[in-house]
Amino acid sequence: MKLFLLSNALVACLMAETYLKDVAPILNKAGCTSGPCHGAAKGKNGFKLSLRGYDPQFDYEALLYDLSGRRFNRAEPGKSLMLTKPTQEIPHGGGQRFEQTSTYYKTIFNWIAQGVPFGDPLKDVVSALAVEPLDIAMAKPGEKLGLKVMASYPDGSTRNVTREATIESNTPDVARIDAVQATVAGERTGEATLLIRYAGKYATIPVAVLNPKAGFVWKPLVQHNYLDQLIDAKLQKMKIQPSGLVNDAAFLRRVSLDLTGQLPAPDEVRAFVTDVTPGKLKRSRKIDQLMARPAYVDEWTMKWGDLLQSSRKFLGEKGTYGFREWIHESLAANKPYDGWVRELITSSGSSYESPEANFYRTTRDAKATMEKTTQVFMGTRMVCAQCHDHPFEKWTQNQYYEMAAFFSGVGVRPGYEVGEEIIYNQRADFEMKHPKDSRVMMPKYLVAAVGTPPLPEHDFDARKRREAFANWLTSRENPMFAKSAVNRVWSYFFGRGIIDPVDDIRASNPPVNAALLDALTKDFIAHNFDLRYLMRTIVNSRAYQASIVTNEWNAGDSTNFSHMTPRRLGAEQLMDAVAQATGARPNFPEVPEDTLASQLPDPHVGKEGFLDLFGRPTRETACECERRTELSLPQALNLVNGATISDAVADPKGRVAKLVLSGRSDTALVEELYLAALSRLPSKAESGSGLAYLAGGSRTGRAQDLLWALLNSKAFLYSW
Amino acid sequence: MLSIPGRAVRNCDGVSRRELMRIGSIGMMGLGLPNFLAQKASAANESAAAGKYAGARGFGQAKSVIMIFLQGGPSHIDIWDPKPNAAANIRGEFKPIPTKIKGTHISEHMPMMAQALDKATLIRSMSYTPNGLFNHTAAIYQMLTGYPPDKVSPSGQLEPPNGADFPNIGSHISKMKPMTEPVLPFVELPRPLQESGIIGKGGAAGFLGKAYDPYRMYQDPVKPIQLDDLSLRKDVPADRLKDRFALLKGINGSMPDLEKALDSYAIDEYYGKAYDLVLSGKARDAFDLTKEKDTVRERYGMHTFGQSTLMARRLIEAGTKFVQVNWPSVANGDPETTAWDTHAANFGPLKNLHCPKLDRSLSALLEDMDQRGMLKETMVVAIGEFGRSPKIGVSTSGNSNAPDGRDHWPYCYSAVVAGAGIARGVQYGESDATASSPKEKPVHPNDLLATVYYALGVDPDMEIRNHLNQPRELVKGKIVTDLFG
Repeated sequence: MKLFLLSNALVACLMAETYLKDVAPILNKAGCTSGPCHGAAKGKNGFKLSLRGYDPQFDYEALLYDLSGRRFNRAEPGKSLMLTKPTQEIPHGGGQRFEQTSTYYKTIFNWIAQGVPFGDPLKDVVSALAVEPLDIAMAKPGEKLGLKVMASYPDGSTRNVTREATIESNTPDVARIDAVQATVAGERTGEATLLIRYAGKYATIPVAVLNPKAGFVWKPLVQHNYLDQLIDAKLQKMKIQPSGLVNDAAFLRRVSLDLTGQLPAPDEVRAFVTDVTPGKLKRSRKIDQLMARPAYVDEWTMKWGDLLQSSRKFLGEKGTYGFREWIHESLAANKPYDGWVRELITSSGSSYESPEANFYRTTRDAKATMEKTTQVFMGTRMVCAQCHDHPFEKWTQNQYYEMAAFFSGVGVRPGYEVGEEIIYNQRADFEMKHPKDSRVMMPKYLVAAVGTPPLPEHDFDARKRREAFANWLTSRENPMFAKSAVNRVWSYFFGRGIIDPVDDIRASNPPVNAALLDALTKDFIAHNFDLRYLMRTIVNSRAYQASIVTNEWNAGDSTNFSHMTPRRLGAEQLMDAVAQATGARPNFPEVPEDTLASQLPDPHVGKEGFLDLFGRPTRETACECERRTELSLPQALNLVNGATISDAVADPKGRVAKLVLSGRSDTALVEELYLAALSRLPSKAESGSGLAYLAGGSRTGRAQDLLWALLNSKAFLYSW
Repeated sequence: MLSIPGRAVRNCDGVSRRELMRIGSIGMMGLGLPNFLAQKASAANESAAAGKYAGARGFGQAKSVIMIFLQGGPSHIDIWDPKPNAAANIRGEFKPIPTKIKGTHISEHMPMMAQALDKATLIRSMSYTPNGLFNHTAAIYQMLTGYPPDKVSPSGQLEPPNGADFPNIGSHISKMKPMTEPVLPFVELPRPLQESGIIGKGGAAGFLGKAYDPYRMYQDPVKPIQLDDLSLRKDVPADRLKDRFALLKGINGSMPDLEKALDSYAIDEYYGKAYDLVLSGKARDAFDLTKEKDTVRERYGMHTFGQSTLMARRLIEAGTKFVQVNWPSVANGDPETTAWDTHAANFGPLKNLHCPKLDRSLSALLEDMDQRGMLKETMVVAIGEFGRSPKIGVSTSGNSNAPDGRDHWPYCYSAVVAGAGIARGVQYGESDATASSPKEKPVHPNDLLATVYYALGVDPDMEIRNHLNQPRELVKGKIVTDLFG
């Protein structure tokens, strides 16, 4: 009998509910800790919990001590506010969260009866989350599968938490979750990722819903390099037949715009399409030629200028020119990527003498610098973790401040000349402090990278902090540095990243083709972070050179690079293309005549004009999302009726005027205008209707109309 | 639901071919595909909102809005909320006069509005407490976006507008309420908001993208105006533009693969709409004040504010959804040049410059719109970003004030609202004895915004997504249903 009692007590003890293990997951699942409810920054109706329960200690204390402990009635647990509110026995702004008959109710009831134990942080926290199945491939839409989520604890025990875990789909119209049944249903052909969260741990499950149509036969296409092998492997598995190569003229237009931001000149198009060198070699040679042009350096100086926020708003006019020049020189010399990023991170001195130090003038505080650095060079958004643990990543609020501590010693003081500033390493009083309790946060790496030495706990001076950070960031072992660069560069050529958005890399946003991203990353590192090598590899692939024309198997695919997707020309590309096609010379204020849009120092030049209307980044943030490429009504109005195009086609020294004066035939005139605007020869039919139009009135006016129409055509506004 | 941030999805799942065909046929009327999608989404939101607010007073009664935005901060005591029994250093120099609202008096320098208040509700309990210093731009941003700005320098200055800003209410409306007429959805007259060098903060589309920015004119409507993008060019008369469009159609049509790949981008719809706007001339005509009788123009007042107010009426008549008329002086300008920011001088400028203009133009707008039946479906709001300090000659914002100047005061001020079911000839809320804080029924600027959204049939609680695709509330405010008659 005695023994029996003892074992009963032992069982009770083993079974005892704790806050950590049992109650916190319920508060998450029932929605109590969600953003619109008590997880809001200011709580709800005077009661605050941490967002999605990231801080169980805080939540426990809030429950325990707020309202002088009235949330619990240990003698009569059922009268506790913590039970009467969510069951709506007394009014609750958030409505009924669970019923008195539910297991949630029983768990909390027992927990209160046992005296609301917090639990043992060493034993009651989840050590790992396991999901079943690990990945899902459905043969057709309409299939349904059950999911299982197991949590394991430090003592080796496991628990089925399928019901309490939060399961979400990133593409619900492909894979729909039934939260009550814990099932996933295939809605349509495509891919999705399921994100499973429980007690601060995350897991993902990739889902593929295959095309159920019968008759798919894989037709192998030429593969230009290993990228095509890896893309094809995925496509074949997904029953997606890729599109073939685009024709020479369209390839030349596409690759010229992507590499140099400029259209090919009419003669260059003619020469290229008539060149009889075998296609792959001919294209490869053209790629090398384009990358050797000054326009290539201008184009990429502009792109990196966007990300590094090179703008006189932060840097002053002289600072901006200096910083642009530094970026330009680094790219012109093809400095290894890791090298010039390292120069930026470790930069010190005068903003005039050491222009790379301007890096620290756009974001003048350690937190902003850290956010920018992780977003640009690691594709990681840390901003959420400033106020709470990252909701969809493992990053914690502590890590935010530990990372920011690498930059807390950076000082900025006025220099000797007007507008000059000096970046220096502070000697004292620069420690990063946690906002909650003002404790000093010492620098710690976000993730471990093999081979990086341990960081000192004391006397970690400001200079050494940045050196340590630069070593870690640019390390070949850093899992995010090279990968995010490769992914970002990839997106410039395909309109989307292998991980997309490119600056939001996280476990719940996985790559569409991990093998592809890994292989290209390894290759980039093996070639010493050579950006030109990286681009050359990408644009030589068949995938990049694919047509926009789809077949019945890849028409629905927009993520696996099975065909090219038209992309609207960027603001600067469009402006330069108008100038080039019409022969009207660009004339921006404050810069020498003929300066191209892609050569402008910063968004100050030509402000509020055509470039801004077409979505030029303002360089206010380091987000790739600043560049806008949608088409809008004000843009259409401007193209149709605004001065930019209408004046340019009528320029008395422009292409039309010169062609008319040159005495060339109408046929030659039409051909020249097509080449200038669309980088291709007109078809017979196009030539015929062009000729007919020219014959219908004043030759100059009619030629202007034709060029106007070409410039307003989709084939001009888009890269295809 | 977990939503993974991403670029706008460009394929058109969920829109059937049949629906696309239908869009094609009405494309020239301006229902482009993005608009159509927006409309679908907003239709879903609207039906949800319609269910939520079924039978509620005033819900969905407004089709359009005129926002008269008196940037600078008009002195509520000297205009709308006189306190004749307060001490001399509070009540100021002006006398109260009776109005068409029984028992409600306003300033003697607003005689025409006193007669026009039978068409409107006068709110005397606008109030909010800003975070930190309250300079104009922060308050303007709060007033027009529904959110306090997050980056305010110690001096209270803001950064210029950027793509992370919360959108102006007009931008939201032009996204949610697609156009059915070839006119501009959102127009800002006669010039952008401004405090010192910060231009347009709180007045643009922010994270919605420039497509939803207001159309800005940058011209004085007293003079003949130029509208280049909307007017046929001299060298391209209508026939030539038609020829050009015919050519364009042929060129696009000869690349069917590209047409197919761009099918969901609605380019033809945008072009169709641009064509309609230019050729129909409806939008341009709405700006053309010479089409109004001189007597009407004079009734509104032959000054920038008055003519802008008249232009707003014409735009709404033509089908524009949202017109914001900004007080033409810079928010923190010199009161002697008609800025509402009367630190340096209050009574002289108000009496001689400000009140006569505001009185004439606002009363003309209310009377004219009422006569035309336009107040049935158009809401008119006249408000500034804050009121002014009840005590004369004291500093409340850190600015220095002349002995007869008044400083910024967001804790209590007034607004005039009318139309779309808003009660006529009613005072709502009341201030305390010194007009320092609401005595009852305080209305936060967010509450007023929520009420405007609600009047337009939009649920103010709906979720929106910012530039980082993070979920945010449209506006955190309570609908003031008691404003409706």
